[in-house]
Amino acid sequence: MASGSTNFYDLYRHGSLGVSLTDALDELIGDERIDPQLAMKVLTQFDRIIAETLQEKVKARLTFKGSLDTYRFCDEVWTFLIRNVSFKLDNGGQAIQADKVKIVSCSAKRTEDK
Amino acid sequence: MSNSAVGPVYDTIISEVINAVRVDFEENGIEDGVLEILKTKWQSKLSQMKVAQFPWEPKPEPQPAPAAANNGPATTAAPTAAPATANYSQPTMSPQGAAQTLSLPGALLPSTNGVALKQDPGIVNTEPAIKQEPGTGMPPIHPAYNPANAAPGTAAQRAAQALQSQYGQRAAASINAIHSGMASQMNGNAQVQQSTRPGQAPQHMSPQQQYRQGVAAVVQQRMQQVSHAGAPNGLPTAQFDGPNDAAEDASLPQGSGSGHPPFMNREMIDQHFHAQLAARAKQMEGGGLMLPLKDATEHPSLAASRQGEGPAQLDGGDDGIKSEEDEDAINSDLDDTDEDKDDDEDDDENMGHMMLCMYDKVQRVKNKWKCILKDGVLTVNGKEYVFHKATGEYEW
Repeated sequence: MASGSTNFYDLYRHGSLGVSLTDALDELIGDERIDPQLAMKVLTQFDRIIAETLQEKVKARLTFKGSLDTYRFCDEVWTFLIRNVSFKLDNGGQAIQADKVKIVSCSAKRTEDK
Repeated sequence: MSNSAVGPVYDTIISEVINAVRVDFEENGIEDGVLEILKTKWQSKLSQMKVAQFPWEPKPEPQPAPAAANNGPATTAAPTAAPATANYSQPTMSPQGAAQTLSLPGALLPSTNGVALKQDPGIVNTEPAIKQEPGTGMPPIHPAYNPANAAPGTAAQRAAQALQSQYGQRAAASINAIHSGMASQMNGNAQVQQSTRPGQAPQHMSPQQQYRQGVAAVVQQRMQQVSHAGAPNGLPTAQFDGPNDAAEDASLPQGSGSGHPPFMNREMIDQHFHAQLAARAKQMEGGGLMLPLKDATEHPSLAASRQGEGPAQLDGGDDGIKSEEDEDAINSDLDDTDEDKDDDEDDDENMGHMMLCMYDKVQRVKNKWKCILKDGVLTVNGKEYVFHKATGEYEW
């Protein structure tokens, strides 16, 4: 599973965790404490570790409903823009409402195959 | 609770990443302190996002602090939501603002000058409510002007209107000559009978009346030629009744006296020609390159509405229909730009609510979609959630 670090998507870099890491690395590069190649290595490690951790450590489930505004399937990546979404968490808490949510989703098959 | 799970999960990820790259840092000859700085920076930046409660942050008080932590992201989320709604309302507001500024010149124009009156129908076309004005709104502005004359709204009527507003009482003679010329063409001798009726003009002696009638016949012929040349299609059938003649009787003595009506009228004919030419020049200029596209597109419809008015045009209803069409055309353009802006905003705004995940299955039956997603990070309303598996159903 965790064979090569290049086998993982970098889409999580666009989440809060990835953005904050990228910002921190940028600051260090700007201060000339690290060079960009090392920063890229950190990010590829991050890609692998966040994918593994989400897969192994997280058990939560959720369901959501809404009206699909836009869908797109390009290069094995689904992009949905959903309006009036309500998310339900598995703990039976109150639903989370959002007027629109963008979903970017890569194929789960590719990581499992490799 | 997946939001409370975010903190430990992210902490695990940070620690693992830091440990995993430690070797790389050593290989590059970077001291350990830099790695610690990286970790601290990462954690502090993540804390600034306030997407969840993280273990490295000072633990809040058990009861009130979670509420404060909940309020914190909510208040930070509110400003980000506010510009979004402002952006939304901005494009929807702007067409209204444009429509208001469009209708404003229409409301102001009748009081400016006579030549501009020619454009009045074109501008008023955009606003059906003001469209009634030539019939109902004009008489208060020009008290001597006969409301019945304004109703047909033909080119000749407009020319008379223009003369009226430009020269006031002095033009009354030629205006009435235009009207009586049109009437006499339809009625033949009816005009003579009407004007010699005693009820119509009680204050005039009949010899004077007849003299003026003889002069008026010459003038009428001349004015017919004028109206033929100036407005070839503007010959309505509306003038069957007497108010026009009454207006002539009332206004002729005041305006030009009984002295030399032919001379005055010739002058008025020249003025009339000049007004027509000026108006046409203005129209051609406007239909060409000199005006903004918005105004230029109005002129074809203006010309069409003028040509469309045949002899059967007794009232202003036709203009109302055309104005609705114009309005549709303008609105549809604006609606299109609205939608475009809407789509752009979707792309700009997506950082606020985003789900990053893997998909197991994406199925669609007609417009119903069903997705099975896994290993995702969801950011909604300033909060972050992680999930192992998510199922979504939505309709397109």
